[in-house]
Amino acid sequence: MVPTGFVSGSGGLCPQILTLPLGDFMTSPLESFSYDDAIVRKFLTATLLWGVVGMLVGLVIALQLANPAFNFDIPWLSFGRLRPLHTNAVIFAFAGNAFFTGAYYSTQRLLKARMFSDTLSTLHFWGWQLIIVSAALTLPLGFTQAKEYAELEWPIDIAITIVWVIFAVNFFGTIARRRERHLYVAIWFYIASIVTVAILHIFNNLSLPVTLFKSYSLYAGVQDAFMQWWYGHNAVAFFLTTPFLGLMYYFMPKAAERPIFSYRLSILHFWSLVFLYIWAGPHHLHYTALPEWASTLGMVFSIMLWMPSWGGMVNGLLTLRGAWRKVAEDPVLKFFVVAITAYGMSTFEGPMLSIKSVNALAHYTDWVIAHVHTGALGWNGFMAAGMAYWLAPRLFQTKLHSIKLAEIHFWVATLGILLYVTAIYNAGLTQGLMWRAFDETGRLQFPDFVETVVRLLPMYWVRVAGGALYLTGMLIFAYNIVMTWRSRPTTYTVPVIQAPRLLPVAALAPSTPPTLGWYRRFLQAAWHRTWERLPLTFTVMVLVAVVVASLFEIIPTFLIRSNVPTIASVQPYTPLELAGRDIYIREGCFNCHSQMIRPLRHETERYGEYSKPGESVYEHPFLWGSRRIGPDLAREGGKYPDLWHVRHMEDPSAITPNSIMPGYSHLLRNPLDFEGIQGRVDVMAMLGVPYGAAIERAPAMAREQAQALAEAIEAQGGPSDLSDKEIVAMVAYLQRLGTDLSRAVPAANQTGGTQ
Amino acid sequence: MTDPTPNDPLLLDHEYDGIQEYDNPLPRWWVWLFWITIVYSILYVLNVPGIGMGAGRVAVYEADVEAANAIRGSGEAVASGATDSALTVMSGRPDLVAAGATIYGTRCAVCHGADGGGIIGPNLTDAFWLHGAAPSEIHRTISAGVLTKGMPAWDRVLTPDEVTQVTTYVMSLGGTTPAAPKPPEGERHEPSVEPEVPPR
Repeated sequence: MVPTGFVSGSGGLCPQILTLPLGDFMTSPLESFSYDDAIVRKFLTATLLWGVVGMLVGLVIALQLANPAFNFDIPWLSFGRLRPLHTNAVIFAFAGNAFFTGAYYSTQRLLKARMFSDTLSTLHFWGWQLIIVSAALTLPLGFTQAKEYAELEWPIDIAITIVWVIFAVNFFGTIARRRERHLYVAIWFYIASIVTVAILHIFNNLSLPVTLFKSYSLYAGVQDAFMQWWYGHNAVAFFLTTPFLGLMYYFMPKAAERPIFSYRLSILHFWSLVFLYIWAGPHHLHYTALPEWASTLGMVFSIMLWMPSWGGMVNGLLTLRGAWRKVAEDPVLKFFVVAITAYGMSTFEGPMLSIKSVNALAHYTDWVIAHVHTGALGWNGFMAAGMAYWLAPRLFQTKLHSIKLAEIHFWVATLGILLYVTAIYNAGLTQGLMWRAFDETGRLQFPDFVETVVRLLPMYWVRVAGGALYLTGMLIFAYNIVMTWRSRPTTYTVPVIQAPRLLPVAALAPSTPPTLGWYRRFLQAAWHRTWERLPLTFTVMVLVAVVVASLFEIIPTFLIRSNVPTIASVQPYTPLELAGRDIYIREGCFNCHSQMIRPLRHETERYGEYSKPGESVYEHPFLWGSRRIGPDLAREGGKYPDLWHVRHMEDPSAITPNSIMPGYSHLLRNPLDFEGIQGRVDVMAMLGVPYGAAIERAPAMAREQAQALAEAIEAQGGPSDLSDKEIVAMVAYLQRLGTDLSRAVPAANQTGGTQ
Repeated sequence: MTDPTPNDPLLLDHEYDGIQEYDNPLPRWWVWLFWITIVYSILYVLNVPGIGMGAGRVAVYEADVEAANAIRGSGEAVASGATDSALTVMSGRPDLVAAGATIYGTRCAVCHGADGGGIIGPNLTDAFWLHGAAPSEIHRTISAGVLTKGMPAWDRVLTPDEVTQVTTYVMSLGGTTPAAPKPPEGERHEPSVEPEVPPR
């Protein structure tokens, strides 16, 4: 045990060596054990399978945006339902299984211990795959909470919590039984990921169930938006960043056969990353109805996050010092180098996009889509690939089937990423600039939204090409690993490892009492070295960093009343409108349409008065959206006749030539479940939405409003017999949107009645 | 590990599954950039309303709108030129009517039908009008819209000249025979202007 100082007394950067007595290894007996690689092989297989599935769904929805015919007029294959399936499959199925693959392999070796319980490992594996399958079934059916990357409904959320706890028990149990005194940096990152994902998942998904597959978020409007992006941003941080940094810290030095560049950089960038990341969520809500102070905190913490993020890149790339010639020969290192470069690019871009003026241009556009694909395809996809190619010969105890094919995968996928991101950056900038363009008379230069969509179509086709290349790479990848598996030995040899048992910390000789001032002691890593052998302390410190940072934003968001000034004319939705809103959620309309007009002149000119926080107070969940593939709908109410909406939902391109919106003709055929509305109203009332008479007779009130609306549609020259169809609920909802702001304040609360 | 020299003073004695670590100093540029982002953030926060001297996003927006309104000029000045007599004269100019027809095709036909027979919006060829049949009234309906009925205010999209052109085209539709006319809506008005352009 020889910890080394950060900075010596006088020599500046020369390390100071403190010597501690070597007592540990001498006295404890050797123990024999083996590693569980079977579970790693399982997770690797799942990674490949879901990787192909996730990318395939991505290709389908890319085609749907380039040409709406690819929605095939089948409700459960429409973009609004498949888009969440794509994101969930890539994040939780592909990247999740990749993380588990690497974590199960490296944790055992870094801690010199078999996983705590083989049963828990197996439960974790099958539990997670079952969750993915249930996601793949429920999302196309339209069961969704309407919160990005948290779409899965409440029973699946509970299952995720249970499986995550199983993983945590298994992981921390392994730490408790470790034979390595200190925790290596990869383990720090795993700890941070496991702890934080649990907190984020639980608190963002709190909701009240209506039925088995329908629930309403506990939070509404501004608070719900805040919680969602606190979660959404940190899902990126603690599901796609810190787990993969942990993998990098293990597999990069292993593959490069070089020591990690800088231990003290690991310490500093780990802690600053964990502490700063949590604050950054509100940068997803710039210029929205979120209070400006929260938005500002989100921005400045994102900017401060730049160097902590780049610390990982520096440590990764500089670990290759003296080994660059290997990169030319080894596809594993090629994947890692591009992955880390992509990580560096997206973590520079993140802080840049969080700057308010940049965000004003980029938000709601494809720029953000390009940004996340640099991260997902480049960083996560290539880390997973490099890791798998390194693992495959070791796990299957044979040679990799073909290094040549791995090289081909690398170049095909790299070309795919380049095509994808250049096209989509271009699309994002183009549309953002078109939205804000004014002519010399002060009018919008492109007042028709669809004009700004048509301009993007060529770039959407380039994206299809890029995505197809990346998917081709995935297929080559899967083939290569499967062929490697096929040349495995009949039985795997399981090496027996010997290592001495750890003595309790108390048995260690006391370290040298501190003689320096606090600043000197801080600069010496010794304090951190102590934490590294105290996993509980370490985990508590991570917890404190994450929770304190969260509470600094959450408490004011929930408690300061002036954040959400009340608007007297804002009333709850009528029962029929509420049913329509749930259809809007089921069809995933929020994936393409925002409901949040920013106080920017080109937005108010195009959509109407900017959205106020008080307008969202009954929005469980909020539906502000994050991307405008179609126009904003916050003030859609009254903009068009009822019949316009009926015709438009039936066949959008007949009303708006060149529209890429899929048709929703099934809404004109599906009967509306009037009786089910009562339960929805009741749960909303339980959440504090002031429903009056509707608590008694929601279905009857909905029928009355539906009848009146259907008659109006018929009078305008539309089809008859719509009064019991889903379309009336949808039109009622759309015609209500954003109209409360200009309505006269009702004398008494006539909630739930017709307007 | 193969390469590193065993006596490298920067190589720590940590070792995890064969992985070692150097104790290299933090790169200077990294430390400096980290400090710069921190200082920038502190200065930026001083720009937030309530804490510092910044105006805030709503104030900036309102100033923006005011400046734009000054450029655009008042809508009344535009409308005052659209009198019945002036529009009647202009409706005799084929170039204006043709320009109006093009705009009608892209903007209006979706709701009023390519031949003016009405689909979602009312029939424009018959003698029945919901919001007035006089040229200046048609001009006003197009320009300001009828927001309660879903007719947009086209002066936000079209220039004053374009609104005039499309008005002359709508005037020219009167008395034509569409393929599938929508039943009459509104009050009957005798045509004040006989169409001078032959029916299309």
